[in-house]
Amino acid sequence: MGLSLSCRRFIVLALPVVCSLWLPANAGATRSVEHALGEARLEGSPERIVTLYQGATDSALALGLAPVGVIESWLERPMYRYLRNSLPPGVRYLGLETQPDLEAVAGLAPDLIVGVRYRHAGVYPLLSRIAPTVIADTAHDFEAMLGLMGEATGRERQAEALLGAWRERVQDFRCRVSARLGDAWPQSVSVVSFRGDHVRLYYDGFARRILDQLGFRRPEGQEGAGWGVKLVSRESLPAMEADAIFVFMRDDPAVAELHREWTAHPLWQSLGAVERGQVYQVDPVVWSMGAGILAANRLLDELYVHYGLQDSSDRRDTDSADPPSGQDSNNQERDSRVAERQGDERLHGEGETC
Amino acid sequence: MLTSPAAKLMGLLLTAALALATGLASLALGATEIAPAVLLKAFLAPDPSSTQHLIVWTERLPRAAIAALVGASLAVAGALMQTLTRNALAAPSILGINAGAMCFVVLGSTLFAIRSPLGLAWVAFLGALVAALLVALLGRERGGGISPVRVVLAGVAVTALFVSLAQGLLIIDQERFESLLLWLAGSVAGRELEMMTPLLPFFLFAAGVCLFLVRQLNLLVLDEEVVRGLGQRTGRVKLLAGAAVIVLAGGAVALAGMIGFVGLIVPHMVRALFGRDHRWVLPGCALLGAGLLLGADTLARFVIPPQEVPVGVMTALLGTPFFLHLARRRSLAP
Repeated sequence: MGLSLSCRRFIVLALPVVCSLWLPANAGATRSVEHALGEARLEGSPERIVTLYQGATDSALALGLAPVGVIESWLERPMYRYLRNSLPPGVRYLGLETQPDLEAVAGLAPDLIVGVRYRHAGVYPLLSRIAPTVIADTAHDFEAMLGLMGEATGRERQAEALLGAWRERVQDFRCRVSARLGDAWPQSVSVVSFRGDHVRLYYDGFARRILDQLGFRRPEGQEGAGWGVKLVSRESLPAMEADAIFVFMRDDPAVAELHREWTAHPLWQSLGAVERGQVYQVDPVVWSMGAGILAANRLLDELYVHYGLQDSSDRRDTDSADPPSGQDSNNQERDSRVAERQGDERLHGEGETC
Repeated sequence: MLTSPAAKLMGLLLTAALALATGLASLALGATEIAPAVLLKAFLAPDPSSTQHLIVWTERLPRAAIAALVGASLAVAGALMQTLTRNALAAPSILGINAGAMCFVVLGSTLFAIRSPLGLAWVAFLGALVAALLVALLGRERGGGISPVRVVLAGVAVTALFVSLAQGLLIIDQERFESLLLWLAGSVAGRELEMMTPLLPFFLFAAGVCLFLVRQLNLLVLDEEVVRGLGQRTGRVKLLAGAAVIVLAGGAVALAGMIGFVGLIVPHMVRALFGRDHRWVLPGCALLGAGLLLGADTLARFVIPPQEVPVGVMTALLGTPFFLHLARRRSLAP
């Protein structure tokens, strides 16, 4: 059977060549992109992109793409302020991340749909009949998302540039924060979100993984599986104990009331981080909702500010008067600048070595 | 079953001791364990600088008080409903009273932004009343009485109606949904005493009605014809007892959300011990209901620490097998 085997091998090798000969010259090569739920076949660079989760919208805009349809944001509806201005004017909102309007998706005649497994595994068969669909494995890993978006849209180089700049910033932060804190580094930190009737303590997630990259430790007892825990009684407050605590919450009377009740409690007052004044209020959009490279960079901006470190990236230098979050203008300009800047000359800040 | 008054009194004292024991466990056990000596000291000589004393006073005591009140209310409401409808399956959670109160609270807090405990309580009473009227109307037989099977079916239908209405409202207002989620599942955690105190007059009214009506309620268990023959006017008794049910169940829902099955199980347990005399059944229900919910709430802290299971889930786990057992019995008389 040796002959038939080599025959088969010939056919397998020759098939793509033959196929590519048949294709019209201007269609571009058909690429196959592997993703969490299978493989998508894409031609050229997609123009009509639909993003079905927050991290995908963030990643698409970071790559300078203009999605034709996006799902609504969870806060600052219909879209987070840090992304709003960079969306194209006619963008179509497709409902909630948990239940996108599939008819509207089909109506946009997209040539690429981007979703995430835990939201869209159920509708993936339908989505992939509307257009080539790529599905990210988890919303917690923004680097993988950016890579997938780059691969699907033929912008691998831009994605790699953004990730390179990100890794440099991570190194820079690690170096500076350890120089600043000395023996107190690495710090253990808790990530806490106040809700209307409970408090969430995160063991995993977008912010938690960035903090891991930056070298922060997880406090004892917070290594559990899953995203974290919901705390309902103030006597569980000691579970938050850490060197520092990052707190975020949305702007809502019920949430503010709960925050007041919990932070007035003596158990909160006696937390180490509270006694040392190491509790930082951070932006909920950046820390738990954006879930893309732009949000990640903003999160790092906030950390530079909270730890009093000089940010060697030119993001700070251009408009250093800006607070780390909450402003609408100039963001996109700054964010896209990061993409272009790969090898940045380093400023000499507090740590000579950084 | 206990027969002599002395034995019944003994039984009642034992039930009270059980409620007291679960109450103490609820004060002592949780994320922070509090030794009995410390607990005693927290009451005799409270020290504001001690975290343990503060946990007892600011977290555990309000929570235990609300659990006891809600458990007692639901159990007594269940006993009254079983007597009024002559139906062993009657209870505030089965006949849609809890669902009506829940739906109106959701309506009040989403559409009308009602926040005060008293405001929410009034809305809950109204919801409980509407549900009770609907169930009574749907459960009527052609002759005029209330059919045991029809009334349970009506309860199922009314529950489904109010639950889906509430869900619809909450899907539209997702942010409010977030802050009502635990309450919807039934929870006494993180409550403040200030939520309970404005409602106390209502609960006292219900207790007064129970005391006042205790003999007439005993007659209601008898056949309607016999009661009429004895010259009793049942209309007024039923109306007052119905009002007590509305206040007890509505108030419990306003405080702690959807806690099911306490009102179903406890009266049956109490009747198995004390017989059908309401002079024993009602106090027995109050004590055992309080003890049961205190116990369930304490257990709920240890299933998946440091998280807590909503106590409504705990009572449902206990209550569902019991409901099936009752439904399999041939007679539906209480």
